[in-house]
Amino acid sequence: MVKEIEKAGFPIVQMCNLIPVAKTVGSNRIVPTISIPYPLGDPATSKEEQWKLRYHRTKVALEALATDVEEQTVFRV
Amino acid sequence: MRLEIGNFYVKDIVFGDKLSFNEGLLTINKEEAITYLKEDDRITDIDLYLAKPGDPIRLCPVKDSIEPRVHVDGSPLFPGYEGDLKRAGEGVTHALKNCCVTVVGKHWGGFQDGIFDMSGEGQKLSLYGTLLNIVLVMDTNEEFERHEQQKKNDAHRRAGCKLAEFIGQCVKELEPEEKEVFDLEPVIKRDPEIEKLPSVVYVMQPQSQMEELGYNTRVYGWDMNRMLPTFMHPNEVLDGALISGSFMPCSSKWATYDFQNCPNIKALYHEHGKTINFLGVIMANLNVALEQKERAAIYVAQMANSLGADGAVVAEEGYGNPDADFVGCIVALEDAGVKTVGISNECTGRDGKSQPLVTLDEKCDAIVSCGNVSELIELPPMEIVLGELEALARDGSSGGWAGDEILGPSVREDGSIIFENNGVFCGDQVCGWSPKTMKEF
Amino acid sequence: MKKAILYINQFFGQIGGEDKADFPPEIRAEKIGPALEYAKSLEAEITHTIICGDNFMGSNTEEAISKILGFLADKEMDIFIAGPAFQAGRYGVACGTICKAVKEKFGVPVITSMNVENPGVEMFKKDMYILEGGNIASKMRKDVKAVVAIANKILTGEEVGPAKEEGYFPRGIRKQVWREDKKPASERMVEMLVQKLNGEPFETELPMPKLDRVPIAAAIKDLKKARIALVTTGGIVPVDNPDRIQSASATRWGRYNIDHVDALKSGEYKTIHAGFDPAAADADPNVITPVDALAALLKEGVYGSLHPYFYSTVGTGTTQAEAERMANEIIPYLKEDKVDGVIMVST
Repeated sequence: MVKEIEKAGFPIVQMCNLIPVAKTVGSNRIVPTISIPYPLGDPATSKEEQWKLRYHRTKVALEALATDVEEQTVFRV
Repeated sequence: MRLEIGNFYVKDIVFGDKLSFNEGLLTINKEEAITYLKEDDRITDIDLYLAKPGDPIRLCPVKDSIEPRVHVDGSPLFPGYEGDLKRAGEGVTHALKNCCVTVVGKHWGGFQDGIFDMSGEGQKLSLYGTLLNIVLVMDTNEEFERHEQQKKNDAHRRAGCKLAEFIGQCVKELEPEEKEVFDLEPVIKRDPEIEKLPSVVYVMQPQSQMEELGYNTRVYGWDMNRMLPTFMHPNEVLDGALISGSFMPCSSKWATYDFQNCPNIKALYHEHGKTINFLGVIMANLNVALEQKERAAIYVAQMANSLGADGAVVAEEGYGNPDADFVGCIVALEDAGVKTVGISNECTGRDGKSQPLVTLDEKCDAIVSCGNVSELIELPPMEIVLGELEALARDGSSGGWAGDEILGPSVREDGSIIFENNGVFCGDQVCGWSPKTMKEF
Repeated sequence: MKKAILYINQFFGQIGGEDKADFPPEIRAEKIGPALEYAKSLEAEITHTIICGDNFMGSNTEEAISKILGFLADKEMDIFIAGPAFQAGRYGVACGTICKAVKEKFGVPVITSMNVENPGVEMFKKDMYILEGGNIASKMRKDVKAVVAIANKILTGEEVGPAKEEGYFPRGIRKQVWREDKKPASERMVEMLVQKLNGEPFETELPMPKLDRVPIAAAIKDLKKARIALVTTGGIVPVDNPDRIQSASATRWGRYNIDHVDALKSGEYKTIHAGFDPAAADADPNVITPVDALAALLKEGVYGSLHPYFYSTVGTGTTQAEAERMANEIIPYLKEDKVDGVIMVST
């Protein structure tokens, strides 16, 4: 799905936990998330911590869309 | 550690007055067995049936299968799960072969439950269609999960294990037809001739991805979500330390019977002292976060190195994101200088054109492949259904669906069914039974 | 008797050699050249032979295809055969091109034969059965025989076996088969293991496929003005799952309005993805679809605007073909709304 959307000319950032999977399927901009069932907020942490994490990583994802890359890139969070 | 399994080959099973085994005939007193199982007051409805190869019977939703056995010294068959904790894998176990206790939901299934047939074209899809099945069909008061897609099936699974041990009692005092001995000396105290052979570990990745407890594979009763890879003796696996979980697409499942009889372990045992030096089992797991997957792979590779393993075999109980655990583990082993073979199923889609594993790496150069989880299967109606066929369509089975524009519902009015291999009970047999492979077309 | 039509080039059509390679397509109601060899064992009558110059097909492809499809429009056929093309590059590409066009237009089975070195193999092996043929025309009999073997299976409704056994190039399709020797995975594992340990040759049952890549899309120039869309494969849907998206092997997707929504609420949205524990996402759907964070970042002016819908399906077990189709159904909505960039959250 990522590849198709990129092929259509849209820059796309994949937020996911399984970086090797994202790389295998051919994502070019990747922002790591923390797990599969809850990519953006660990229910074992406080609501505030979850919010901080989610806000931060979503912002990194937006910035990744505005960043030119030469190869598959995992953005640091 | 030495385990002796005394085998009693069952040729037929009947219900009768007294639980007994006599010249291949297993007789079960149905009322007595039911009364015993009803001690669990969660059970609201229970009945026993027999399903034999060739019978016009379809079973659905199937929860687990267990081989009837008994420990001759009277210790618990499934230590830490049903009964007190005690080391498994040593001493004498008596086993009733060619048969299994199979647990079926009277009404409700879910993602993790499967289907299999005792005859017809669907029989070959599961090993369990070829065994003499003592079928426990029951319902429980576990209201909290009655309509949940993911079910712990706790009462069902426990009842199955209890019944397997209950039936096993009848051969406790008898002399077995055949004795299998599983004897593996301590890793550093082996015959020099054996030590010259390349040494091998078997890495098992049972399903353990549910963070809430009660769904995952258990080892000595412990939920495997709460453990890191550890070293085990293969006899422990063969002798009741492992209880199948209730959280995986069903064709990928390893039933409790599969652990008790694990063909991969037996094959490595068979080669021990001939072509390899079988070191033992690294009991790994499957995880949900990349960091956990990587940590587990580090543990496995470190243990393999510390044990001096030249080779490893990695088997995964699942597909999809568990492929990342599987491939990650193989890559970690190869990077650590351990020559590794993997065993898995694939998900190439109904059209066979999808990427076979979600992660790929060229270091995985030796894979035994056991099937395609998304192969479409269509089967005619079956005269008798034990359980409730509608569970395949209604309850979120990993292989079934309620409706589809083109294919219609998985369960049709006439009782014929269409579904994905995903829904076949233990269909892909990655534990080693699989006569299936994958080919390019 | 069933009917077949054969495509060959100017050389095998006995028109001439390289000097006649511009020969425009013709159809003749007779068996010409290789057709006679096919006719010996093919369980169909070859009613027509189409001849076309290799250069004509190469340089006037569209015209050649449209002419040939025109010839075929009123003909009955149960199978369309081209070649064999051996190692002849232009001929191989021509056979692949016309077979693909005929299959798409008329839905009839098509089949051809080429040598492994023929560039047509790489170009067309996923689209049709290409038998692995010899490198030169002297292998004609053998190659025709191989094509006929498969063609007859197709004509009589017999199942065509795996690529290796039947001698065609793998079409990128992997299916499960029951081994005839029923050799269990455990024994295959031990064999492969011992071979690998001893440095002997071994054959994996899952050769690692080559990875397919797409060109990297250019970055958004001005994020502050950019319109962003949110897509997920994590199965977040309104609690009643109005689009009835399947919880595995999905073929459906949905889009749900998030215009001026500050956060997705538990009880209004949930996940139907069956591949993981849904508890966290059901309690707070924003952990998969970060609508709350996007709303805040929008207010702060980090990016320009949010596409008013998020798109959702389930990733687990979904075939690549289905995923591609769903993406291509979603893309027009993104284009129409002039979206500049997409955030995809996967589980």
